[in-house]
Amino acid sequence: MKNNGNLAILLKGILKENPVFVLILGTCPTLAMTKNVGDAFGMGLAALAVLLCSNVLVSLLRKVIPDTVRIPCYIVIIASFVTIVQMIVKAELPELDKNLGVFLPLITVNCIILGRAEMFAGKNSVGKSALDGIGMGLGFTLALVLMSTVREVLGNASFAGHAIAFLEPYKIKFLVEAPGGMLVYGCLIALVYVITKGKAPLKKSFSCAGCPNAANCHTACTELPADSGEKGDA
Amino acid sequence: MKQSIKSTLVLFLICAVMAVLLALTNAFTAPKIQANLEAAANEALLVVMPEGKDFKKMDLSSYTLPATVTEAYSEAGGGYVITITTSGYGSNFIIMCGVSADGKVTGTTCLSSSETLGHEKTYGANFIGKDAAGVDGVDTISGATKTTAAYKSAMKDAINAAIILGGGSVDIRTEEEILAENLATALPEGNGEFTKLFIVEVIEGIDAVYNANNAAGYVYVIGEQFIGVPAGTTPENATVATAHAILTATTTTEVDLSAYEGLPSALISASKTQTGNYILNLKGAGYGINGGNEYHPASGEYIYIRVSMTPDGKIIDCLTYAQSETPNIGSACADEKFYSQFVGKTEETYDNIDAIAGATLTTDGYKKAILRAFESVKILEGGAK
Repeated sequence: MKNNGNLAILLKGILKENPVFVLILGTCPTLAMTKNVGDAFGMGLAALAVLLCSNVLVSLLRKVIPDTVRIPCYIVIIASFVTIVQMIVKAELPELDKNLGVFLPLITVNCIILGRAEMFAGKNSVGKSALDGIGMGLGFTLALVLMSTVREVLGNASFAGHAIAFLEPYKIKFLVEAPGGMLVYGCLIALVYVITKGKAPLKKSFSCAGCPNAANCHTACTELPADSGEKGDA
Repeated sequence: MKQSIKSTLVLFLICAVMAVLLALTNAFTAPKIQANLEAAANEALLVVMPEGKDFKKMDLSSYTLPATVTEAYSEAGGGYVITITTSGYGSNFIIMCGVSADGKVTGTTCLSSSETLGHEKTYGANFIGKDAAGVDGVDTISGATKTTAAYKSAMKDAINAAIILGGGSVDIRTEEEILAENLATALPEGNGEFTKLFIVEVIEGIDAVYNANNAAGYVYVIGEQFIGVPAGTTPENATVATAHAILTATTTTEVDLSAYEGLPSALISASKTQTGNYILNLKGAGYGINGGNEYHPASGEYIYIRVSMTPDGKIIDCLTYAQSETPNIGSACADEKFYSQFVGKTEETYDNIDAIAGATLTTDGYKKAILRAFESVKILEGGAK
């Protein structure tokens, strides 16, 4: 049961609570960095690294950090990890740094990371927070790769920079432009909605019922008995 | 109280720990980032000098280089990579150019520009292998006169700079500087400040006359020769003496325009010399005033033109004395190169001049004003009503 629960934490970020397609977080890098698969993958991994590190540290310090200053603390932690990731990318992968441009430092204000620190890591054990960070990071990466695949293959007739010759005459240039990104994004959100049959716990994850502390908190949680579907059955 | 001290302390400690982490990462990555940046900079240098090795940025403070040179790198093989900042159609046109040890262009690239047609990206390839003399022979791109002219002068500046950096010497003075020097040598009393004289009488054999601003005398230009005539002296040269006599004897009287009928509205004022030549002040429609068509004083500014003309309609001298055309484009109508083209022209030939690149409306408005000058002289010669 325990393992099952951990697995659920890991997996929920990939589809059921996918940060991009279900929680609709981090849309800015999603739209900007999905013109080609390579950049999208790099962006996803950078966010994954920051998410994992910040989740672990926030979780470690969750008993030390006073409630009143928790947001400044989270931001200091996240900004530092982003800067560290940025330094490493600049040193080891200068090409990727050039492509990601301002969106790499902007991971600092990526709502997924602050959102997970606030919603999950600040309230859960280190292990669970790490799993959540990996799950959400993978979900973000997969979402970006999926979206960039659609945009690059159809819009630019290539995949990760390798040209696909037979698609060349049919490419839809519009898809690699900003409005095309919006369109693809919308279609993918719809697709995910259909796959999850509209049962993605969109509401719960933000409401009391989705709160991991729901059990300890009786007063405000009127929704809790109504839907107790959160059994880790993913 | 205790709570707030604890909060502050925790936040401070977290900041401190993260700062240490950042410092550690920086210690590992900083040298690598620096190396990457240098490699990227060298890559740009290699584009313009593919054979180049071991580029080193130079300190230019001890050299007298063309004013457009902003950066220079020396190279192990004796060549130089020069960065030129100039202006073409727009400003801030930055070109990087490699020059080999024997003064030939090895490659160029445009680092930044606001040119409109995009030619600057490919045009540089035409200069590869050219030396200072070969640069002029490169074909211009029609429709992009400004860009190509800027590119050519940048190439010359780069080659000259490379020669100077290599220890050679080149005359990098501009035409204006050469003229100023010639004038100062011809008439030292003028203190180096001269104004080109507006000629109102036909004087044979003289190309131009300059007047010292402090009334110390005149300088006559005959071809390459500059002859100074201090005030109160008589020149030795016979041609200059004749011209000087005519010039100093000239008197003008204002013409009362209201006595004439049908004068064009472009004519502002006119005066007549004792020999019968006319000096006309005209306003031409510039770019802002439905340029080149007719005169709509409601908006925009005029180009103010002064023309001196013989009674039979031949232009003696021409000058733009005020204008507010688009800077760097139409404003070229105030350049001597442009308006001096009208000297010696008649009503039949005035149209045959080089237009200002990129400023058709200004040119057309100017020509129209010149045409009005011919018409005015005809009416003034025809007599009062």
